[in-house]
Amino acid sequence: MTKFHNSDCTCWNCPAINLAGKVDFRACGQSALKFEKKQDETGDSHIMAECKRRPELGLFDPTSITFEECPEWRETQYGYLLKNMRIMILGMDGYLGWTLALWLGKLGCHVSGIDNFSRRSWVAERGSHTIVPISDMTERLHAAKEVLGLNINFRKINILDRELLKEFIEEVKPEAIVHYGECPSAPYSMIDFEHAAYVQKNNVIGTLGLLFTMHEVVPEASLIKLGTMGEYGTPLTGRPIFEGMFPANAVLKWNNREWSMGGELTPRDPVSFYHCSKAQDTFNVYEACKYWWLRSYDVMQGVIYGVYTDHLAADPRLRTRYDIDEAFGTVINRYVAQAVIGFPLTLYGKGEQIRGFIGLEDAMQCITRLIAKPPEPGQYDVVNQMSGYCSMRKLAETVKKIGEKDFGLKIEIQRVENPRVEADRHPFEPIFNKLPDEFGFVQSDMLEKEIHRMFALLTRPEIKKRIEEKEHVILPKTWWSGEKKEVERLELIKNNNHAVKKNGKAVNIN
Amino acid sequence: MGRTIIIGLDGVPFGLLKDLADRGVMPNTKGIISDGTFRKMFSSLPEVSSVAWSSIITGKNPAEHGIFGFTEFPQNTYRLSFPNFNDLKTPAFWETNHSKRHIVINVPSTYPAHELNGVLVAGFVALDLEKATYPNSMLEVLKNLNYATDVDSSKAHESIELFLKDLKRTNEARIAVYRELWKEEWDTFMFVFTGTDRLMHFLWDAYEDPDNEFHEEFSSYFRRIDEVIGEIASKINENDTFLMLSDHGFEKLEKDVYVNRILKKAGFLKLKNGERIDFSHIDYGTKAFALDPARIYVNLEGKYPRGSVKPEDKESVIKGVEKLFEDLKENNQKVIKRIYRKEEIYKGPYFDMAPDLVLLGSKGFNLKAGLTSERIFSKGIFTGKHSWDDAFLLVNRKNCESLIPENPNVCDVTNIINLLTERESSK
Repeated sequence: MTKFHNSDCTCWNCPAINLAGKVDFRACGQSALKFEKKQDETGDSHIMAECKRRPELGLFDPTSITFEECPEWRETQYGYLLKNMRIMILGMDGYLGWTLALWLGKLGCHVSGIDNFSRRSWVAERGSHTIVPISDMTERLHAAKEVLGLNINFRKINILDRELLKEFIEEVKPEAIVHYGECPSAPYSMIDFEHAAYVQKNNVIGTLGLLFTMHEVVPEASLIKLGTMGEYGTPLTGRPIFEGMFPANAVLKWNNREWSMGGELTPRDPVSFYHCSKAQDTFNVYEACKYWWLRSYDVMQGVIYGVYTDHLAADPRLRTRYDIDEAFGTVINRYVAQAVIGFPLTLYGKGEQIRGFIGLEDAMQCITRLIAKPPEPGQYDVVNQMSGYCSMRKLAETVKKIGEKDFGLKIEIQRVENPRVEADRHPFEPIFNKLPDEFGFVQSDMLEKEIHRMFALLTRPEIKKRIEEKEHVILPKTWWSGEKKEVERLELIKNNNHAVKKNGKAVNIN
Repeated sequence: MGRTIIIGLDGVPFGLLKDLADRGVMPNTKGIISDGTFRKMFSSLPEVSSVAWSSIITGKNPAEHGIFGFTEFPQNTYRLSFPNFNDLKTPAFWETNHSKRHIVINVPSTYPAHELNGVLVAGFVALDLEKATYPNSMLEVLKNLNYATDVDSSKAHESIELFLKDLKRTNEARIAVYRELWKEEWDTFMFVFTGTDRLMHFLWDAYEDPDNEFHEEFSSYFRRIDEVIGEIASKINENDTFLMLSDHGFEKLEKDVYVNRILKKAGFLKLKNGERIDFSHIDYGTKAFALDPARIYVNLEGKYPRGSVKPEDKESVIKGVEKLFEDLKENNQKVIKRIYRKEEIYKGPYFDMAPDLVLLGSKGFNLKAGLTSERIFSKGIFTGKHSWDDAFLLVNRKNCESLIPENPNVCDVTNIINLLTERESSK
């Protein structure tokens, strides 16, 4: 029998368990060991639970049945997954949300989702559009049914409308909730007070409302919450960027004294008001897990790129969005678009900023593996979701190389003024072992392949035309100082060698 | 036609009830004792509520009703499960007589509630009040009365005062529910006080010691129950049958004894290593293991996933275990009072499910089957423990000698009720 990353998980991890009222929710702890509060009349303590899916089990010790043994968990290529698992995606109309809806639907999950189409409005507000045309939700759902045979249960709901959200969650009773329903843009949050306040309200209050709703309605569901590597900042001391919490053997030394830091949240150093909202989310989710025994993975995602999954490519109506404006375009996606229309790829400042990155398909795989191995009740955990890291300059060079070699494009790279307040040369040692080590995440060697796919799609005349139409929104105009002016070129630079680090090891991606 | 009223006092021993009655703490009970028939009653083996109440409500022994303890392994597993009302193999008395209307409040091990002609509010362990209640329309009533199935015993680990407060609050809500349901039409009314068991586990020492700071609290809890008993007794008619009973007795707890630790030390039990040791860690080479409180099962090949005893070797394993526990002493005291083989105490279609041996502890020794204790003997927060031979049965009539055995057993209760009501209706 194949051993999966979640084979040995037990009903203790399973969202089908019914624990409410059967355990002491005031007690604090993060594992079954500390949870044995329910005492029988002989004074022995037991954890007792019922299974919502298999009521015939009666009352039982939830640590006694593994996913491998339970017929409700079936094998997939990403580990055991609950049969017809009910998964709700918040922000389902977005770049990731729509991709994940199709991905999970094809894995046999019962997918539901909400969105209020804010992303479409924000991008329109910034004078841009998705360069890969996308259908409206009605058409998307129709195509998902027609092409992929999926029934996706969608509601137009604003995450801030707690009453409607609660009603929908009560109706669906999701077993996992993937929360992509936030405004994901640092520049958008830095436009002015109104935008900063809007982003923080949407993100922080939206998530807080969700936490209360989960507590009230689906306390056993797991919350997969999208965070960002940007929460950590880039510590200039060169300290490794751990996965949310310090490892067990981390020690703080001061004045000849020592303290263990194991398990404590690592410092956050957000780099915009948007990133502040994500850091506040982290604290709110962390506390909710502690107070109410909710369970959550905070996914610190590196910079996302890519355009392809089998399902997205199955029909033009199923494509996901692709933004290139300063607020919503992510860096690799924007580079490829710039390259296609002969717009020099833009590095901010020295261009030596190092970021983690992850491709769209890899991100989908990671989220699926997280869903498949839900945290224990009360467990808050963090994963740094990235498949490698490198400097912006090297990424630009990779895009240039592929565009020139495979598509005959002439591509230039330029340095422009950096509108952000950030170190543009800094040490960077992210730790991102949890997903491969504990969740069985296998990176695909997809950076070059995906960039190639992106070029193939974006060089189509109808898409190239849509990029050209929005060429004017590419250069940043939002300065962290509050100024509103287009950045100026500092230098048009020449090519040189590059390397990308994967899993902490320098790997040449040529 | 007379009605039947049954008041249960979980865990209350014959001796304690008599003592409190004599001392004036329970004057109403004293009156019923004086006018009725008061007997010591034997509990089930093992002497735990789930088994004893199952026998009380069915009139059957565990090999007939299928409940052998608080925990069980489903067939061919080492998976700890907690048998409930769905696992009861024979009907409770209210399920055999549909022409009569029954009100059943807080009888342990009746969760989840099944349909009946009447109302049932299940007793512990009942984890979801909605599933504990039949018909569903009663749920709102219970919620409005702030009803909880059980006291939160974990409070006692933080503060005895807080525990007592919760115990009283739970009791008052239960009393309010009885008063509400008394108004209904019914033929049988069964109402069990279970806080008594919780109180005696934590505060038996307070009962025995007049100088204990909670001595008066202990008495006042029983005084309150006696008030309700008086209230109920005042409402019954001349031709009603009124019984009070307990499922097991209680006594002072001197020491906890970890039976699996003893088996492990003697080589009968092998456990795999692991972070959290539970019964799924029972390994090959295990000859015998115990489930709570002291039910010993031979780990037979074919019966368990890692069964390691061939049928032909079973007898020698049993003899080995018997010898082990017969010889067990602590401070020169014999720890085990008696060892029962299954053939001696169980008879019925579910005989094969029965433990091979059941140990009965000597006075003061509380037998436990937990796997994690590092020691054989220890002492926890409990000061009282269950006892087997001094539950009680009290009937509001004299001259019942022909109907009530000299040494009644919990399995006799339904039969006694039938005989009493038959006699009453034949008058």
